[in-house]
Amino acid sequence: MLKKAVPFLSLLLAFILLTACGQNAANEPASSPSPSASPAAAGRIASMSIHITNNLLALGLTPAGSVVGGDVKDFLPHVKDRLEGVQKLGVVTEPDMEAVLALKPDSIFIDETYSGPDLAKFEQIAPTVSINPDKGTWKDHLRELAGHVGRQQQAEDFILDYDKQKDEVGALIKSRLGADAKVMAVRMTAKELRVMGMKRPVGPLLYDDLGLQPADGVEKIDKAYEVISQEVLPDFDADAILVIVSKGSEAKKNYGLLESNPLWKSLKAVQNKHVYVLDGQKWLDYSSLGHKMALDDAAKLFAE
Amino acid sequence: MGLPADRRSRRALLSGLGLLALAAVAVAVSLNTGTISLSPAAVWRTLAGGGTAEESLILFQYRLPRILVTMLAGIGLGVAGAVFQGASRNSLADPGLLGINAGAALGLIVFVSFFRTMDGPVSLLIPAFAFIGGTAAAVLVFLLSYERGRGLLPIQLILTGISIEAGLSAMTLFLSLRLDPDTYAFTARWLAGSVWGRDWIHVWTLLPWIAVLVPCIYMASRTLDSFSFGDDLAKGLGSRVGRSRLLLLAAAVALSCASAAMAGGIGFIGLAAPHIARQLAGPRHRHFLPLTALVGLVILVCADTIGRSLFQPSPVPAGVVAAALGGPYFLYLLFRPKK
Repeated sequence: MLKKAVPFLSLLLAFILLTACGQNAANEPASSPSPSASPAAAGRIASMSIHITNNLLALGLTPAGSVVGGDVKDFLPHVKDRLEGVQKLGVVTEPDMEAVLALKPDSIFIDETYSGPDLAKFEQIAPTVSINPDKGTWKDHLRELAGHVGRQQQAEDFILDYDKQKDEVGALIKSRLGADAKVMAVRMTAKELRVMGMKRPVGPLLYDDLGLQPADGVEKIDKAYEVISQEVLPDFDADAILVIVSKGSEAKKNYGLLESNPLWKSLKAVQNKHVYVLDGQKWLDYSSLGHKMALDDAAKLFAE
Repeated sequence: MGLPADRRSRRALLSGLGLLALAAVAVAVSLNTGTISLSPAAVWRTLAGGGTAEESLILFQYRLPRILVTMLAGIGLGVAGAVFQGASRNSLADPGLLGINAGAALGLIVFVSFFRTMDGPVSLLIPAFAFIGGTAAAVLVFLLSYERGRGLLPIQLILTGISIEAGLSAMTLFLSLRLDPDTYAFTARWLAGSVWGRDWIHVWTLLPWIAVLVPCIYMASRTLDSFSFGDDLAKGLGSRVGRSRLLLLAAAVALSCASAAMAGGIGFIGLAAPHIARQLAGPRHRHFLPLTALVGLVILVCADTIGRSLFQPSPVPAGVVAAALGGPYFLYLLFRPKK
């Protein structure tokens, strides 16, 4: 009996270890929250949306705790260095309520789309503000948030700076591509090729803020994106193509395949060397900070 | 197995008491487990009504509903598995083999693909769709394995179940490929068996099914026993085989669909719990059915506690933990010394 139990137990152990693999990396001690947290006026803030977190950062506030990105199971890479010591509160779709409670926040900000139904649960912990991402633009969200934390001035300053920068970057891009150049943004994921449409996150930034001309047919995509097959790429007749490659080796491989495809090589934008690979996380992050970082990224790409 | 009846009863009773103690420990540990650590003393104090506001919030809003759902689903899956195995005279039958999990999964996928904008509380719509999907799959399997004059044929049931399951899984996979990453992540976790029903509403939705159907099935223990003699002998013993098999299977389908709707596609428990219980208490349903319920409860509560505590910040679905612990157990069953 005992002899048989040994291989059985070792198998058991192997299974447990296997399941544990890859989970350990992100382990974080449930330690006390950050000392660099926000000033007394706004109190300790728990942010239940990565976009609200970034809007807070734009206002010069660091939340005491924040949810992490669902994909990376961590703070988004482009703001990670600014969130050191901030308590992780789970993923937006599965928030760690006990961690929120342990944080003892003075106020909680939630994203209405994801956490709206759980408003009552958050209210039991601290006064909760629900922000609807489908109402208005990121500027409205930033102003709304600023009103709640008493930082209206910082919000206006940020927006003013942004508007100035977007005009500069828009002019820079047009000087490189020509005033009527038609632009499209595509995103290669592990599964498919997408053309980014006129709706957030990318559309308003490219076509409203930067004032670029959408390529033929892009103006009809009245949503975040549309999945296309590679054969229809020439129909868009774009003068420049902005490319976002999703995280992960599969997406990277797919983009490599696309690049070596004769169809791709024959595109006007590719022949004229007007393909720009964006720092995707910044462009897909529909927040004030994300937009600002996207402008910085564009300025760098087109300055060369 | 030639134990006299009273000794067997006593053995079942003793194992039952042991399991009850084990279940109590598992639930107590589970109540103590979470991001905020509560001492066992604090848990008791709070349960008795003497905790601070914060302690009551943690216990009554976050932990207790989830644990109750886990307990109920564990009981439901275990007992349903025992009925499937008894009624189909196949010790490898479980809800998964009859296409129920696959049907529930398809129900969920259909919901997130086409009905997400539907009005109503999502917390109840998802279980409803999963329940309908699972029941529809089971009804389909039953219809296809029903032969006029002979009733439901056990072997046919398993074979049809396997093929229906394969078909449904293919449809689920096809639809899931078209989901956006966030929804897909949720769905994938659900399919792997993650206890997602965590509110009191889920407890109250699941409780009636378990509280009504489990006692009904227990009262039919003798009928379940008679199936094991084969249909002809069972008929000779006075069982109305066709009708009672159909009723029992229907009850088991309802049990496992209700459980799967709250705890996701957990496949392993329906298979393992009856086996373990039979080893403890012998082959008579009167003895091992209650133990099956307790074993199912213990496995699922342990799996969920391990999954959500050891692997923070990305909890592992209970179904994965149960399968990871259960796989080796079945290898052990296969390779253990034959008596």
